[in-house]
This record gives sequence, C-alpha cells and structure tokens, in this order.
Amino acid sequence: MSRIYDTIEPNVIDQEMLQKAVEEQGPQEEAGQLAKREGIDFKDVTELQLDFRNILKIDNLWQFANLTKLQLDNNIIEKIEALGSLVHLVWLDLSFNNIETIEGLHALVKLQDLSLYNNRISKIENMDTLQELQIFSIGNNNLTSLENVAYLRKFSKLRTLNLAGNPLCDNEQYSMFIAAHLPDLVYLDFRLVDENTRELAEIKYQYAIDELKQGEAQALAKLEEEQAKQKELDYHKAAYVEYLNGPFLFESMYAEDAEANKLAYLPGIPDLLETYRNKFESVCEKLFAYGLEQYEKRQAEVSTFYKCLQEALAANQEQGTKIILEFENQNVGLLEVVQDTSSFDIAETKLAKYNDDIIQLSDTLMTLEMQTVDQLEEIIKDFERNIADLVSTFIENVQGMMAQCRDLENHHHEKLLEISINTLEKIVKSEFEEEIPDDVRMLFVDKDTIVNAVNASHDIHLLKIDNREDDIITKANSWQAAVIEEVHKNEMARNRSRVKEINQYKDHLQKELDNLESLEPVE
Amino acid sequence: MEALRENEAEEKEEEKKAFKISDELQDLEEKLSKIQVHIPNMLDCPIEFDWSSIDTSQLPASYKINSAKEKMMLHIAANFCRQYTHLCPDRKELFLHPLNECGVEKFVSTTVRPTLLPYPELYNWDGCARFVSDYLTMEPLPNPIEPPSCLFSPTTILKYQRGNCFDFSMLLCSLLIGVGYDAYCVYGYATREMCMMDETREVCPLLKKSKETVKEKTEKYAVKPPRDLRSKFELQQAAKKEAEIQVAKQKKQEEEEERIMEAEKPKPDSLYGLRVHAWVLILSGKREVPESFFIDPFTAKSYSTTDGHFLGIEALWNHVNYWVNMQSCLNGCKDLIFDLGNPLRWEFMLLGADKPLLLLPNEEEEEELADEDLDNLDKEEEEKGSDMPPSWVEPIQISLKEFETRCPQGKKVIHYKKAKLEKWAPYLNSNGLVERLTVFEDQDCTKVLEVRQWFKNREDLLEMRQVNKITEVTTEYFSPGHVLGLKAHVYKSTNPETERTMEFYNETRVDGLQKRVENACEMTEYFVGRSDFLYYRHTNFGKRTKRAQILVANPDQIKECFHRNLEKPANEDVVERIFMISEERILLTYHLQENYITASKREFIKRADVDNKGNKIIMTPDMCLSYQVGSSQEDKKLIHLYKMMLKLMEEEKHLKHQVWESGTEVLEILKIREEEEGASKLTVSIYDTERNEKGKKQREAMERQMQEERQRQDEQDLDYLAPFIIQMGNIEKMTKWQALRLKEDCLTDFKYRLIDKANIIQVRFEKETQELQKKQQWYQQNQLSMTVEDEEAYITYCSDAMFRIRILEMRLNRHKETAPQKYIALEEKLCKDPRLSEYLKLYA
Repeated sequence: MSRIYDTIEPNVIDQEMLQKAVEEQGPQEEAGQLAKREGIDFKDVTELQLDFRNILKIDNLWQFANLTKLQLDNNIIEKIEALGSLVHLVWLDLSFNNIETIEGLHALVKLQDLSLYNNRISKIENMDTLQELQIFSIGNNNLTSLENVAYLRKFSKLRTLNLAGNPLCDNEQYSMFIAAHLPDLVYLDFRLVDENTRELAEIKYQYAIDELKQGEAQALAKLEEEQAKQKELDYHKAAYVEYLNGPFLFESMYAEDAEANKLAYLPGIPDLLETYRNKFESVCEKLFAYGLEQYEKRQAEVSTFYKCLQEALAANQEQGTKIILEFENQNVGLLEVVQDTSSFDIAETKLAKYNDDIIQLSDTLMTLEMQTVDQLEEIIKDFERNIADLVSTFIENVQGMMAQCRDLENHHHEKLLEISINTLEKIVKSEFEEEIPDDVRMLFVDKDTIVNAVNASHDIHLLKIDNREDDIITKANSWQAAVIEEVHKNEMARNRSRVKEINQYKDHLQKELDNLESLEPVE
Repeated sequence: MEALRENEAEEKEEEKKAFKISDELQDLEEKLSKIQVHIPNMLDCPIEFDWSSIDTSQLPASYKINSAKEKMMLHIAANFCRQYTHLCPDRKELFLHPLNECGVEKFVSTTVRPTLLPYPELYNWDGCARFVSDYLTMEPLPNPIEPPSCLFSPTTILKYQRGNCFDFSMLLCSLLIGVGYDAYCVYGYATREMCMMDETREVCPLLKKSKETVKEKTEKYAVKPPRDLRSKFELQQAAKKEAEIQVAKQKKQEEEEERIMEAEKPKPDSLYGLRVHAWVLILSGKREVPESFFIDPFTAKSYSTTDGHFLGIEALWNHVNYWVNMQSCLNGCKDLIFDLGNPLRWEFMLLGADKPLLLLPNEEEEEELADEDLDNLDKEEEEKGSDMPPSWVEPIQISLKEFETRCPQGKKVIHYKKAKLEKWAPYLNSNGLVERLTVFEDQDCTKVLEVRQWFKNREDLLEMRQVNKITEVTTEYFSPGHVLGLKAHVYKSTNPETERTMEFYNETRVDGLQKRVENACEMTEYFVGRSDFLYYRHTNFGKRTKRAQILVANPDQIKECFHRNLEKPANEDVVERIFMISEERILLTYHLQENYITASKREFIKRADVDNKGNKIIMTPDMCLSYQVGSSQEDKKLIHLYKMMLKLMEEEKHLKHQVWESGTEVLEILKIREEEEGASKLTVSIYDTERNEKGKKQREAMERQMQEERQRQDEQDLDYLAPFIIQMGNIEKMTKWQALRLKEDCLTDFKYRLIDKANIIQVRFEKETQELQKKQQWYQQNQLSMTVEDEEAYITYCSDAMFRIRILEMRLNRHKETAPQKYIALEEKLCKDPRLSEYLKLYA
C-alpha cells in the first residue's frame, strides 16, 4: 500500500519524462521512424501511460489537450489536481496512489471509466458533473458509510462498480443495499448482480427507495417548473415587456411611495385607487400583448431575411463551384500532357494559355463576388429599413400607451388632490370625524404640506413610468443596432474570406504551374 | 410388316406433333386474338348466342307465373303507360314490363334483385362494376334504336355470362343496391362508342400519367438578378426573330395535330342520339357518395352526370319505384337535375315511395342484417310497406370459383386507342400471366411498340414485365421478397457482361444497395441510407478479357461519393475519393465548407518503396499533394498523411474485393433468374383451399382416416345376432319360443367356437411337443458324431421350441379361464339385446 518515502525518491512530471513516454508509446515501425524525424506534438497524443514512476504531483499535463486515456496508476500521488484542461478524457486511472479525497474532476465531463482503486478515500463526493460515468472502481479504500454509496444514484449510465476491500463491505446489508439503491448496476465487485438478489433487495428497501424516488421526482418537477418559468420570462424579456402582464409596474410605483400609503387612509381614496389600478393594469396588459406581437413580427422578419440570405448565398456558392468545376474539367490532364510532350514550344504555349486561364478564372470569380456583394448590400439595406420601421412603430405605440398611463396618473393625481384639500378643509373646520393615524394627520397641518405630499407621490409615479418607457425604448433601439451590425459584420467576414479563398486558389494553381516549370528543364 | 411399322412410326410422329401442338396452343391463342383485332364490329361476331334455346324448365315457379300482387302491379303499370302516352304522345313508349326468359311479363322494378355477395371486392361500386364488366360478355341490342323486347333475370344472365346493356345494368344495379348504394337503372340514349363498348378511341387507363404540379414562391428579400448590360435593341430583334421561328413551328405542329385529330375522329353516326343504352346512376347520400355519377356497366368506368357521352334519359328505376324523366334532353344529360322527389321533373309511378329517403336502420335491424343478410333484405322491403311486390328473381349466387375465374373462359380482350388489353383469370396460365397490354404505334394496331405483362402468384415474385419492341429492352419488376432484394431488372439480353440495370429494395439489404448499372466496362452502384454515408460507387474496368470473374477483380479506377457527415468538420469529410489503381494514385476531395466555393483536395501518389540509393522510403512530402482551403498551407504532419495513406490502401484492397463480390452477385442473380424463368412455378396461398395441393391432400387424408375410423367402430359393435336372424327369416313377428331358440342357437354357436379355439390351441401344443421330443431323441442318438455347429443349431431350436410350447400352454390356460366368462358375458348381452329382451324378460 503506502510506500515509505525515505526509500524512494519522489518524481515530478517534467518535459523529459513526457517526451520519453510519448515516444515509447507512440507509433511504431515505419510510422515511428517518421514520427521520430518530425517530432510528436503533445496535442496530437490521445493516450498516455505514466505508471510506476513515483510521481508525487500531477503537473505539466495541460499541453495534452486531446488526451482521451490517461494512466497514472502505481505512483505516490496525494492530490488530484491539474487535470482541468484534459476535457476530452474518457478513461482515467489513478489506482494505487495515496489520494485521500475525490476532487478536481469536475471539468472531465466526458469521463466514462474512473479507477481510484487502492487509495485512502473515505468519502465519495465532488463528482456531480461526471454524468457519462459507466465504470467506477473505488475498491481498497476507507469508505465506511453505506449511505454515502447512494450518492452514485445520480449516474444513470453507471453499470460497473467495484467497492471490494472497503470497511463498509463488512456490513452484512452491503450487497443488498447496493442492489436496491443502484438498480441499473450490472456488475458489482466483478460479479453479475443476479435477479434474485435484486428482487430481494427491492422488497427489503422498498420504502426507503420509494421515498428517495419521490424526493428525486419532486426535485426534478420543481426544476422543470422553474426552467419553464425562466423560459417564459426570458421570452417576455426578449419582447421588452417582462412583468407587464400583471400589477408589477403599478405596485412598483407605490412600493417606494410612503405618502401615497398614508393618503390611502382618507375616505374615498381606496375606491379611487382601485379603479385607477384596474385601468392602469388594463393598459399594461394591452402593452404586454402588443409587445409580444411585435416581438414575433420582428423575429419573423429576421428569420425571413436570413432564409433569403441563405438562399442567395447557396445560389452563389453553386455558381462559383460550377465555374471552378468547368475550369478544372477543361484543364484536366493538361499538366500531364505538357509533361509528356517533347516539343518545348507547344508546351510553352499551352502553359502560357493555362496561366491566362487561371487569371481569367480568378477574374470571373472576383466579378461574381463583386456582384454578390452588390446584391446583398441591396437586400441588407431593405432589411435595415424594414427593421427600423418596425422598431420605430413599436416605440411610437409604446410611447402612446405610456402616455395613456401618464394621463391616468394625472387624472388620479387631480382627484387625489381634490379629496386631500377637501379633507384638509374638513379638518380645519373640525368636521372630520373619522379616525386616522397620527402620522397621516400630520400631513394635514396646512395646505402646503398636503399638496407637497401628493405632488411627491405623483412625481414618483411619473418617474417610474418614464423609467419603464425609457427602458423599453433603449432596449429596442439597441436590439436594432445589434441586429444590423451583426448582418454587416457577417457580410464583411464573408466577403473577406471569399476574396482570400479566391486568391489562395489562384496561388495554389500558379504554384502547381511553377512547380512544373521548374521541373521541366531538369527532365 | 414393313407397312405396319411405317404406320407405327407415323403414328408416333403424329403423337409428337400433337404434343407440340398443345405446346403451341398458347401462341395460337394469341395469334387468334390478334386476328380478331381486324373485325372490331361486334355485330358481325360469328358466334351468335341463341337465347331462345336456353333451358327454362328448371327455373322456379316465380319465373313462370305472376302472383296476384305482380298482376296488380302490371295493371297499375299499364294504366300509367296509358296516361303517359295520352299526355306525351310524342315520346317513345315506356320500358315497363318486358317479357322474361319464360315469356312472362314482369315489371322492371321486380327484376332488380338486391343482393349482398360475400366477397369484400364487391363491397364498393368500382369493384362491383369491374366484376360485372369482366364477368359478362357484351351483346349489342338487337335493334340499336329500340329497347329490347325481353329482359331476363340477373340469375339467368349470370348463368350464361352474356347480355346486353340492360342485362348488365340490372345485374350491376342489383349488386349495388345490395351493398347499400342509392343506385338506379337508367334507360336513355348514348353515343355509338358507349353503346358498342368501342373503346378504341380511349386512351388505355393503364397508360395515363399523373401530372405533376410545380410550385414556386418568391420571397421578400430575394436578391435581384445582376443588371443586364446587353443592348436592349439587339435583344428585341433577336427575340422577334426567335418568336417568328417559334410561331412557324407552332403552326406546323398545330397543323400536324389537327391532321391527326381528323384521322382519329370517328365517322359520323347516322343514328346519333337515337341509340338506346342502359346504364347505372348512383345518387349521392348513401354510402358517403359525395356527388351523383353514372357508371357505364360495359366498361366499369364512372362518368360525371354531365358527361357528353350520355345523350338523354327516358326513365330510371330501382327495386321500389319507376320514374319518367320530364326534363328536356336537348343538351344531353348536362342540364338534368336528379331530384326524384320533384314531380315536375320526374314523374313517379308509385305514390307510396316518392323519393327514396335515406333510411337509417335502427340498431336491431343492423344486427339482424349482419346475421342473415340476404333473407333480411327481402323482409325489410316487405316491411317498408311499399306497393312494389317482392322480386320474382332468385337470390344471385356466384361461387368462389366463378368469382375468381371472372371473365367467360377466364379470358377477356379490350381494345383501346393504340392499345390492346388482355386479361386472364389467375392460375389460368401456367406462367401466372394475368394481364397483357400491347401498345401499338399506329391506329390500326399493326406495329407493336411495347408489351407489358402482369403476373400473379409467381414463385419468383415477378410482378410485371415490360418489353420495348423498338429498343429491345426488357424491364422486369419484382415484389419485395426476391433473393437479394431484387426490385427491377432492365436488360437487353440475359448474358452476363452486357448492359443491364438492377434495382433493389435497399431497406432489405445490409449494404443498402439501391441500383446497379452495368455495361461491358463500367459498373455504377447507388446506395441509400448507409452509416458511412456512401451513396455512389463507380468502377471502371480497363480492357475486359473473356472471363468475367477475373476482370472484375482487376478494376482500373474506382470512384466513390459520400454524403456530408455532420459529425465531422466539412474540411475533413470526404465527398469523393478516386482510386486510380492502374496509375497508383488516390485522389480525395473534401466537402465544401459553408460559403466556400473551392473544396480541399488531397492526392496520394504511391511510389516505389525504395529510392535510388536503395534506402527504404516511408513517406515524402511530394507523395501527397494537397490543397487546403482556408488555412494558409498549414500542412498536416507526415505521420498523419502516412497513416491516412495506409488506411486508404487498406480500403483499396477491400474495395477491390467488394467490386469482385458485386460482379459475382450479378452472375448469381442472372443464374437464379434463368432457373426461375425455366421453372416458372406458381405459389398457392395456404388459405386457398381449392388450389393448395398439399393442403388438399392433407385434408383428404384426414377425411379418409375419419372414414376408416368410423368403419372400424361399426365393425366393433358387430351384430352377433345377424346370421341367426337371417337364418330365421322374418324377425318382426318373433314369438317367444323363436326368441329363445335364437338365443340358444347363438350361445351354442359361441360355445362351439370357443371349444374349436381350445382344440386348435391344443393341437398345436401337442404337435410342438411331439416335434421337440423327436428332436431330443435324435440328438441323444447322434450326440457323439455331431459337429459344434449342429449342436448349436439344436440348442437354439430347443430353446425356440420350448418358448413356443410355453406360449401355447399359457394361451390354452388363459382360454380355459376366460371361455366361461366370455360365454356368460354373451348371454347377458343377448338378454339385454333390444330385439330379444322383451321376449326373454317374460321367460325370465
């Protein structure tokens, strides 16, 4: 098991060790010679074996970005670390080491086979992300708690498990417990889990399992519900009308408004507030519906545009390929013919013609590209205009509806003011009979105070409405800008890559030609 | 003697000839049918059937006399007829009560016999109409401008399988009403083609092609075409010229078409509009028929009620009523409205059932209907309380065999425009041929363009064979299930290495092969749904030598094309690879990346393994020429290229084998086809009780066994009294004394028999014992001079004899034991015998 440190010199993973291992385990025979001559890039290596090397610390493995299989068994590793960059790892062997806790594996989401045999682990943990896990070996460790094994329930693909040699195996319920809690398991400790045991286990742990299942199902349902809600909200947000289908805006208007709450104690105010609230909400609802409708419209517009763009590009691609194909068919075998002809003059003229053809081809392709750019520019302009129209109508309508909100607020404000002043007069004349809290009564000291209070409430409300309006308008405008910019950017990138491609192809053809010409004098 | 022998030889030859003749019968039949082509006029048909000679003596009484109700009906009809002729003196006399086969006047509605037959094919109108048109032979009306004077019952028509348009319509109408359609017989006028069943101007329905509709839609942001920089004037001039040429061409074409039309136009008919015809009308409503339509019973085709072939209607009837058309038929049937409830348009004869409304039978009735369909139909009609008497015709019956045979003698020929269609009953032809369509080039049907043959129940699953007589190309279509999933086979000759195309059911094949096109030096294979995305493989064989297997193994060039595998980046997904085997080159082309117009390419050149210095060359950069799109000449490492090349070389080997396998498969299929064509066996469904030989034999064997079993049982309860009763003669008047005597006789006889049996056993026993004793004596005498073999023979004999003796002894003992018991048993049995018991009881 654990080795004595004094007798063995611990090792570190260094360039030399890696190089040697890669060369030893790399391609053999002829391919090996080739590989030796060229050298092997670490990022091309897919399998690496670093066993019996007395490694104490995992390090320097970040270069092996495409590694799928890593064997680090029979070392003296104490901590799982520095494996975060090996995201393609499928097989990881860390058996016969001195590891005490499971950690640092969360990035290895593709891991299917994990061996931690013969270590000092006392708890199964920190493995939530390894959903692909199929084979898990954790025998000869210090696992004591059976309940901890139930953690493995979350790995739906787990089929093989090795737990032999842990203290928990002494528990007489051991195999029953595992069979009941991991129903999809096929092999436990190198043995097939037979039907009989499974049935017995199921009966024995039925209640516990049912409870577990119910808990899991509930959690899942909750998660799904939340996701659905979030999705809905995201959809509303994309339409810039989130929370407008309820009293949210109205409530937010009153949330920070202390004065309004005080005034609500006056007679007649609750009724007034109620009607105001209803009217306000109905306007909001209208706005909400309109927002969604406009959102759909915008999306449809964008998708139509992209569809047409795709079609145009496909047609262009087809055309380009056709031109190239024609060219290639025309000149197929030309180079061979030139090589074979004995007459220098004929070869020369043919080559000259070929050269001209290449230039012509490149010109044709360039013309085609220019034409496409023009065509696309036109439709992009159309699109831009339409989007701008859509957004501006949307904004106008939103502004109109917000104006309605403001009117309602103004109206409400007037009413409120009127009632307040009436109440003030009543209080001044001591005709006011109803009980009101003291702090509310404080407002009715004189006319200025009450008018100020009502005005302050009104200002807060207007501010809220304005903010919301600004919010929608800003978002809509920025969306418009983003969409248009993306279209332009894509088009630019496309154009650049096409020009580059044409040039590259031309260069390639000419290089071929040059090669031939340079060969000719020799032959 | 000589002469005799010659005679014999001649006879033999004649026999041979006879065989040949029977072999050629098929061909002869075909020839004969072709000869008939030239006399399409059915009036001159040489075999005129004489209806007066038919046997009416077996027909039931209802055929020969009229019931009181029917007489009443006839009376009403006569009255109706009188009024009608008085009111409409210009119109033709009504077709109300023609004579039937026994010379009795019957009202037409009672001749309709609604019947539901137990064949699912006859549940829909098209099936019914096809059956009627196939089953009966058409006879023209004796007088084309008058309705027939007599109308036979549908049963008689079915029996003799021939009839005129009225007979056809009555039978079809009976069947259609039987399956629930709102059907009527129509008496009216039609064109000559319709009346004479002359379809030579119609395009064969099998040759009609479905039209394809092409849709095109324009999108909002579609790019505009590039600006046209050519001179508009020049274009205009060119267009003008083009148009002129076009117009001239079109004119010519039109003229040509007109000429053809003229040639094809039927000769003017002097009797146009006068020719009497009968057909069937189906009104909408029942059986979910959305719109009323006509059915021509001769051709089984449906026509809209406004079709130009129908020139007028006099009257129509079903099994409950008779309506006379009061609408003008100047415009054919185009303006007729079929609302039979309207007395202004349709004059009905019986008041009770004006417009036959859709009767919704309640559930009970429906159930009954399901149980006993035929009888119930009658009852129901009677219950309806209509005035119409029940039909005098017997229920229509068609046996399964008759139903399957379809056409008279199982064969039928129809002439269409430039085509001839022949039909046969299944199993009539030994090669399974059921339909043959011959397409001709010209109107007179002399030059054959194409022959299509349809087969049924063939063991090799051949469904159709199409022979193009001009290109000499044969196309065979197979049903699913043929060896190696063969679907179609197009060929000129069955020899290998000639041009052929084989199509396969790719779903059933592991390699997903859909089509294989082959000629002398090329083979192209098309695949569908392969996991490696291969869809096309083209193999080029250089020069073919004689033996197929050898060359196929040495292809010159193999080209493979692949679909896009979305799991790989386009730049690493091969679209096409060409193995130039003779040039030792491999060409790879990759898929196009999105928005790219050039594809990556790679070319491997296999070189000698040893360079000029004798060193082994593994891989050099010039062995692989590549063009990488997008990336700036960032070459892959040689090691990867080397690995790729090794893999490709492996693939090449594999491919060669594949090609060889394909070649052998073709040969195998050809061989199998040849064998199948030679054998041309037919399959029989296990449910077909008539033809399934094996099943039939088994059934017969079972029946025989049953019969034997029964016989044995009969023997078992053998009548032991019978011989004595015979001796005594009359047993009916048996006295007590006689009974006693009978019993005594029987018992004594039995006793003697038992004693005899005992004696026989005793005799045998004694004989065996004696013989054994003799042998033993002989042995003792000659014991000393005996050889070992003799001794052994003696010993075996002794043991055998002892065994036999013991058996006989046992039998004797048992007989002695059982004999008294048997005797007592017989006595008891006799006492209980019904013939004796009463006498013996008294005695006891």
